[in-house]
Amino acid sequence: MKGLLIAIGVAAAVLLFPGSIPRSLASDRLNICVVNYPLKYFAERIGGDHVSVILPIPRDVDPAYWTPDVATIAALQKADLIFLNGAGYAGWVDKVSLPLSRVVNTSKAFSDRYLTSKAEVTHSHGPTGEHTHENLAFTTWLDFDLAARQAEAVATALSRKNPAYKEMFTQNFQPLKDELKSLDAAMSRAASRAPETPLIASHPVYDYLVHRYRLNLKSVHWEPHEFPRPKQWLELQEHLTTHPATCMIWESQPLAEIEEKLHTLGLKCVVFDPCGNVPEAGDFLTVMQQNAENLRAVFK
Amino acid sequence: MIDSLYIAWRYICYNRFKSATLLICVTLIVSLPIALNVLLYESETQLMSRAAGTPLVIGQRGSALDLVMNTLYFDNEAPEPIPMAACEEIRDSDLALPIPVYARFQARDNPIVGTTLDYFEFRGLTLGQGRMLTMLGECVLGASVAERLGLGPGDSLVSSPESLFDLAGIYPLKMRVVGVFQKSHTADDLAVFVDIKTAWVIQGLGHGHQDVTRLQDPSLVLKRSDSSVAATAKLYHYTEITEETVGSFHFHGDLADYPITAVIAVPCDAKSGTILRGRYTEAGEKLQIVVPEEVIDGLLQQIFRIKSVLDAVIGVVATATVLALILVFVLSLRIRQREFYTTFKIGGSRLTIARLIAAEMLLIATGSSILCVMASIATALHADYLVRMLFIR
Repeated sequence: MKGLLIAIGVAAAVLLFPGSIPRSLASDRLNICVVNYPLKYFAERIGGDHVSVILPIPRDVDPAYWTPDVATIAALQKADLIFLNGAGYAGWVDKVSLPLSRVVNTSKAFSDRYLTSKAEVTHSHGPTGEHTHENLAFTTWLDFDLAARQAEAVATALSRKNPAYKEMFTQNFQPLKDELKSLDAAMSRAASRAPETPLIASHPVYDYLVHRYRLNLKSVHWEPHEFPRPKQWLELQEHLTTHPATCMIWESQPLAEIEEKLHTLGLKCVVFDPCGNVPEAGDFLTVMQQNAENLRAVFK
Repeated sequence: MIDSLYIAWRYICYNRFKSATLLICVTLIVSLPIALNVLLYESETQLMSRAAGTPLVIGQRGSALDLVMNTLYFDNEAPEPIPMAACEEIRDSDLALPIPVYARFQARDNPIVGTTLDYFEFRGLTLGQGRMLTMLGECVLGASVAERLGLGPGDSLVSSPESLFDLAGIYPLKMRVVGVFQKSHTADDLAVFVDIKTAWVIQGLGHGHQDVTRLQDPSLVLKRSDSSVAATAKLYHYTEITEETVGSFHFHGDLADYPITAVIAVPCDAKSGTILRGRYTEAGEKLQIVVPEEVIDGLLQQIFRIKSVLDAVIGVVATATVLALILVFVLSLRIRQREFYTTFKIGGSRLTIARLIAAEMLLIATGSSILCVMASIATALHADYLVRMLFIR
């Protein structure tokens, strides 16, 4: 009876004086904005019910090349924390105004381990002289050791923002870290079976995977849903003369006609989804586990 | 008494130039020290309130006053730049909230202040019109700037070149005005705010141009190889950042090396502030950390030292003027002897003559008092503006 009276009292107070609601009674969920799905997954796993994570990017768009509109930027500016991937991921970040105090670059701690994807054309103009638009590889989370460090950066930032739940965030982070570490170990074991196996990637997004697990991989620049031009087939055949791969890694399942033609060249298609955006099924870990399983089959 | 006052008033009206001179002299002698005190009090209040509201400022070693005046009041004298990494270091230390400030450029004689959104939260600036900065190339105006230039959201403002004779220099940037802050009665009203990255674009560190790898016009390409393209001076640089051109804007190198003039540090607590200050005291340290309140307090000490000299000068001048006035008055009594004699002849007593002189003096004193009060009220009402015009800017 007493509990009921208290509940009625609280409800009446909430209705009559909405401004007087203590924060802990109302909502102390942190509003988090992220720039890709891996960070969304980490923040949700670590933050649990105490965070509301928004990835403001449509599901069919690659977050690396998405550009926000003014309304979205205004919404981003109101977030309690904005998790960036760093390493040049999401170029729009350099072109918008964000509150520096709430922006967290999750890969900053290992910025000395950033990889350069490919040297761009050097150009010069004006008094500043020659300069290159350095192209950093940005799919850092494909090195699962680095992914664990990014998750750690997420946990640290959440704890700083809401110290009351620090213990809980740490507790949530630990199993995630363990899962990423075991994934890392599984990948290392699989790749070490046949480390010299030549591989071809359909897209140059696997730099961190290659570096961490010492894969012998060369990349072309193909899209899974576009049939390659004759010039691109010639380029692939040239690669194959020096790099006799029997397996081509794709971000998603390619068109059936691409797969057929690759088959005639002796190439089998294997999907390794970088999972930059929300997957159609499963979550980050299940997708990565499937990716690892797919690669393990290649190294058998 | 009324008749004496009436005759005195008629005398003053008849000798209007002499009386006006007397009135002005007395008014100035009295109102000058009052106005000076009002202005000094106002300048002290303004300087100290902004300084007290800015816990710590970090900048290049050198004049602490220049650093504080540029960071707090966007003074024209920009201190030597420091790298943005200084801001990152403070952030990483977890001791304070760092807010970068890059106050070096101008737009139509108004300071352009490059900073981050944290600055507006820190200063409690609220928008009066439009919206907050979102994209590169946008600016939000202080209330006074918007009023003076007649600009509002949707208009544009061009940055001023640093040197008119730098023909090969950086192109001015046409900035889009997206908002105007409400009046804050601080130096923020007199500034044009941009994102720190926009300030770097104004400096030319970030720029947008045609894609050199896709140039077809041979007159734009000086030399081309597989790995290098050298463009000619004809290469078109964008001078405005729009939705169409923003994609071509880019920065070269590490943004941590990019310049800023200062970092405002807001410590988490007193202990963090002390620890942070300790980090900048080593001998070889290139940066300095200052407490603006202490720097401005030092400046005010100087001002008050000057004020006491001024007070003495005013005192001497006032004494000389009073003596001169007494002399003028005594001489005028001698000149007016015939007038007093006529009064005496028509039946006026010596007391009546004394009353007439006293009434004249009373009227002059009353007139001066009224003018003094009006001048003091006007000074007090406009002290805020006068202080900024005379002392701050």
